[in-house]
Amino acid sequence: MSAEDTVGGSTRVPRENLAVGPTLRDLAVVSVLGWALQLLATDLSALAALAGLAGLYVICAVGVVLTRFAPFYLPSIAWISLLGIAATLPFTPWGDSVTALVADIDFLALSVPALAYAGLAITQREIDVVKKSGWKLLLIAVFVLASTYLGSAVVADIVLRITG
Amino acid sequence: MRAPGNVLDMWRLHVAVLVIALIAQLIDVREIPLGPAAILLLPLLYAFLLSVLLNPHVVGAVSKIVRKREVKAASPMIVITIMPFIAKFGTTIGPSFEELIEAGPALLLQEIGNLATVAIAFPLAVWVFKLRRESIGATFSVAREPNLAIIVDRYGLKSPEGTGVMVVYVVGTVFGTLIFSVLASLLASLGFFAPEALAMACGVGSGSMLAACSGALSGTWPGMEDTVVALSGASNLLTYATGLYVSLFVALPLVEWLYKKARPGEASAARKEN
Repeated sequence: MSAEDTVGGSTRVPRENLAVGPTLRDLAVVSVLGWALQLLATDLSALAALAGLAGLYVICAVGVVLTRFAPFYLPSIAWISLLGIAATLPFTPWGDSVTALVADIDFLALSVPALAYAGLAITQREIDVVKKSGWKLLLIAVFVLASTYLGSAVVADIVLRITG
Repeated sequence: MRAPGNVLDMWRLHVAVLVIALIAQLIDVREIPLGPAAILLLPLLYAFLLSVLLNPHVVGAVSKIVRKREVKAASPMIVITIMPFIAKFGTTIGPSFEELIEAGPALLLQEIGNLATVAIAFPLAVWVFKLRRESIGATFSVAREPNLAIIVDRYGLKSPEGTGVMVVYVVGTVFGTLIFSVLASLLASLGFFAPEALAMACGVGSGSMLAACSGALSGTWPGMEDTVVALSGASNLLTYATGLYVSLFVALPLVEWLYKKARPGEASAARKEN
């Protein structure tokens, strides 16, 4: 992608600022919150939910360390998602046991605290942006969703016609 | 990603989040049926609304409970809270790895269709609506959780890009099933697209969008239900596996590049500011 080099000029946070220790500590705090929510959202026992969250914690922790110290840069979420895939590949010796550990953890309940922090993090600047161009963004959102569907349908249709 | 101070120092913040999240989880998923579709209300949405009401910048009276220093500390917590979510997300892809490899070329290539947001919605945002950097976050992807995480990780949620992706995320969550089922029925009734193609396109968004969209198609072609469900499910799996990387390594750099071409002066000004 020729556009790749422009990313360096964006406003992204430099990884040298990533403080591994405090991040792992805060990760532990949110894992405790996540554990409490799993007890509400699932039928898991307290211990099984704890084991599942612990498994996810390890994946995240390794991802944070790799984000900071790997020889090349990948965003932490890319590392964590890759590690999550690698940890559950069925043909690896560990795949099935990791999958069993985290399989029943509720996906949507994990996202709830993130949105709670997000609402608390809002400041005057964001409120102003939404007041000024909120309706435009709402319309754009509808176009984004519709064009994704339409785009994928067109490409799939063309490929199906070519390949029969 | 600047970590907030001592954990004990910030107990108000974490306790507030715990209480909000527990309330939101107790309300649970609510569906308002609307014909074949539904307006979907999820716990994460209540959590967001409740925490906005507890935000001293929004409701001044609550500043005794949550102070402005907690607001400051909340921001770096967002990306950390998304991490276990993304980890869980990865662990749902791993077990299906072999099925994904076997997916046909049409299924794989239709993922490119996700870039249609860049081709259609981005020009609208920049030239018609004259939006600024919000357009980057709003139009680089379909704004599901992995895409939201990319923006939070790169710009922070408290950035114009973050506002853009957040609005599309919320609209997609609440009205996504409605938009997808209406569009699917509409395109199906045109008779131009192959049912298989429309089924594959159902998988580009979230699980609830997938359900509404494939439901609408099954309603149009009752005999093809199994095909529709299988293809849309495989496509959704593929979107989850590849979507994060396509939007991180292709769509976002592309939109950034386009934005700099569209607004050359502003891009360099933003760089100096930072």
